[in-house]
Amino acid sequence: MIFEKILSLSKKEHKVTDNMRKHIKLLCNACSLFGTAIEKDDRSLMRDLIDIERESDSIRREIISKIYDGAFLPYLRPDLCRFVEIVDHVFDVLEDTAHYYLDGKIPEQIKNECIRVAYLNSKICEMLLITFEAMLKGEDLREKTLAIRIYEKKIDDIKFSLIKDIRKIPVNNFWEGKILSDFISSLTSISDIIEDASDYLQIINVSMK
Amino acid sequence: MWKVLSGVLLGWSLGANDSANIFGTGVATGTIKYRTAIFLTAIFVLLGALLEGPKCMETVGELSTLLTIEAFYCSLAAGITMTVLTYFAIPASASQAIIGAVIAAGILSGTADFSKLFKIITCWIVTPVGAVVFAYFLHRSLRYVLDKTITNITHLNYLYSTGIIMAGCYGAYSLGSNNVANVTGVYVGSGLLSAGMASLIGGLSIAFGSLTYGKKVMMTVGKGIAPLDPFSAFVTILALSFTLHIFTQIGVPVSSSQAIVGAIVGVGIVGGLRTVSAKMVAKIAAGWIITPVSAGILTVLFIKWLV
Amino acid sequence: MKVQELMTTKIEYVDADKSVYDAVEKMVDRRIRFLLVKFPGKDLNYGIITARDIVFKVLAKGLNPNDVKVGEIASKPVSCIEKNAAMNEVASLMEKKKNARIFVCENEKIIGVISLMDIMAGALIMRARGEHDF
Repeated sequence: MIFEKILSLSKKEHKVTDNMRKHIKLLCNACSLFGTAIEKDDRSLMRDLIDIERESDSIRREIISKIYDGAFLPYLRPDLCRFVEIVDHVFDVLEDTAHYYLDGKIPEQIKNECIRVAYLNSKICEMLLITFEAMLKGEDLREKTLAIRIYEKKIDDIKFSLIKDIRKIPVNNFWEGKILSDFISSLTSISDIIEDASDYLQIINVSMK
Repeated sequence: MWKVLSGVLLGWSLGANDSANIFGTGVATGTIKYRTAIFLTAIFVLLGALLEGPKCMETVGELSTLLTIEAFYCSLAAGITMTVLTYFAIPASASQAIIGAVIAAGILSGTADFSKLFKIITCWIVTPVGAVVFAYFLHRSLRYVLDKTITNITHLNYLYSTGIIMAGCYGAYSLGSNNVANVTGVYVGSGLLSAGMASLIGGLSIAFGSLTYGKKVMMTVGKGIAPLDPFSAFVTILALSFTLHIFTQIGVPVSSSQAIVGAIVGVGIVGGLRTVSAKMVAKIAAGWIITPVSAGILTVLFIKWLV
Repeated sequence: MKVQELMTTKIEYVDADKSVYDAVEKMVDRRIRFLLVKFPGKDLNYGIITARDIVFKVLAKGLNPNDVKVGEIASKPVSCIEKNAAMNEVASLMEKKKNARIFVCENEKIIGVISLMDIMAGALIMRARGEHDF
C-alpha cells in the first residue's frame, strides 16, 4: 500500500500518537483502579495512583518533546500539546482525590454515590479513548463528543445531590469537613476536565479540514 | 555589456520581492525553514527561467524596436518605479513596469506596436481574477477528494507539508519562467543578448535576489498573506503556480503579487468570507495604472535627456 | 449496555400518607418528575407518583391537592428489572407497561431507576462506541 511508504516517513508522528494513546489508556486504568480502591476500601491500591501519576508525567514529557522535535505541522502542535496537558491535569486531580481519600474517611451515606461517580469516570475515559482514535482517523466526532457530554451530565447530577447530602453529615472539625468537601469537588471535576479534553480533540479534528 | 546591469538590478529586486509570495506562507507557519525556502526558490527560479523563460521574451521584445541603450533605460526606469512604489506600499508589478517603459520608448521612437498591448492588458486583468477562480475550484475539488480518500491526520499532515514544499518549488519555477522576460527580455528585443543568454543572466539575478532577501520581511509578508491552515496554504501556492505557468504558455509576463492576492481571495470565498474589499480592488487597479505610467514617464525622461 | 451503567441511584421518596401538595413541593424543589411512594408496613411496599398522576388525577379534576393523599393516586406495584438487563429489554418493558421509568431492583431492594432519557442516552453512547445491537 502506498501508505506504508508514507508511514515510514511519519515515524515521529506515529511515536507521538502511540504515546498519546498510551497516556489515555493509562488514565482509563487509573480511573478504574480508583473505583475499585473505593469500593474495597483498599488504601494500598489507592496509593498506587500516586505512582501512576508519576508515570503519566513522564509520558507527557516524552510526547511534548517529540512534538517539538519536529512531529506534525507547527500549525497543529499547540493544540496537540494543549490536549496532552489537559489529560495530564486529570491525572493530577485524580492523585489529589486519592490523597483526600487517604487523609479522611468517606462516610457510609455517600459511599455508594462516590463509587458511582468513579465508575462513570472510567466510562467517560473509555469514551475519550474512542474519540481520540476517531480523531486520528479523521472521522466525524459529533456522536462521540455527545456521548461524553451525556456522561458528564450524569455525573453533574450526582454531584449536586452529593453536595446537598454532605451538608447533613456531622463533622468533628473544620479540616475534616474541608477534606471531605475537597474530595467531592475533585472527584466530580474529573469528568469536566475530560469533557474539555474532548473539545480539544474536536478542534484538532476541524483544523485539518 | 554594462547595459545589462540595470536589468540585473531589476531582476534582483524582483527576486527579493516576489519570492515571499511563494514561500512566505510556508516559512511564516513554520512548515519550511527559511534557509531551505530561499535555496529552493533560487534553484527553481533559475530552472524555470532557463527552460521556459524565452516564451515570454518575444512579447516584451516585440512591443517596440529598442536600441540597447534604450533597453538599459527601460530596465532602469522599471527598477526605480518598482522601488519607489514599494516604498509607498503600492503593489508594484515588474511586468507592468517594464511593459510601460518599453511602450513609452516605442512611442518616442515611433516603433510601438499597440496591437500586442491589448493582449497584454487583458492578461493583467485576468491574472488576479483567474487566480481567484482557480483557487476556489481547486480548494473545493481537492477538499472533496481528500474527504473521500485520505482522512487520517498523520497522512494529511505528511501530504500538506510535502505539498507546500513541492508547490513552492513549482511556484518558483513558474515565477522564473514567467518573469525573467521582464528582467532581460528588453535586451533580446534590442539584439544584445540571445534568448538563452538572457534567461541565464535574468534567472541568476532573480535567484540572487531571492537568496539575499531578508527573513524578517518574508515572515511579515507570509503572515500578511497567510491563510492560516495548511490545506489553504497549499491550495493558494498551487493556484499561484498554475496561474503563472499558464500565462507563460500564453507568452505574457504577469504579476505574481496580484496572482497570490487573487488566490487568497479565492480560498477565502470558499469559507464564505467576502474577503474582497473595495480597498484591495482599488489598490490593485491603481497599480495597473500607476506602475506602467510612471515607468513610462521615467523612461521618456531618461531617453530624452540622456540619449 | 446494561441498565446499571446509566441508572440514577439517587431516588427521592415520599410517604404514602403525605398530601399531594407535599409531593408537589418536593418535586418542584428537587426538579424531579416522579417520587417513590413508601407505603406503611414492614415490607418494602412501594408505589410511584408522577407529575402526570398529579396533573391528570388531581389538578385537572379541580381537586385540592392538600386534601388528597399521595397513596390514593400512586401506582402500585412498581415495575422492576434487574441490574444486568440490557437497554433494549427495559425499552420493551416500558412500552409494554406504558411507563416512562422502570426501577432497578436487586434482592427485593430498589437500587436505581432508569428513564426514557436514560434509554436515549444509552443508545447514543452505544452508537458512539460502534455497538449497534440495541
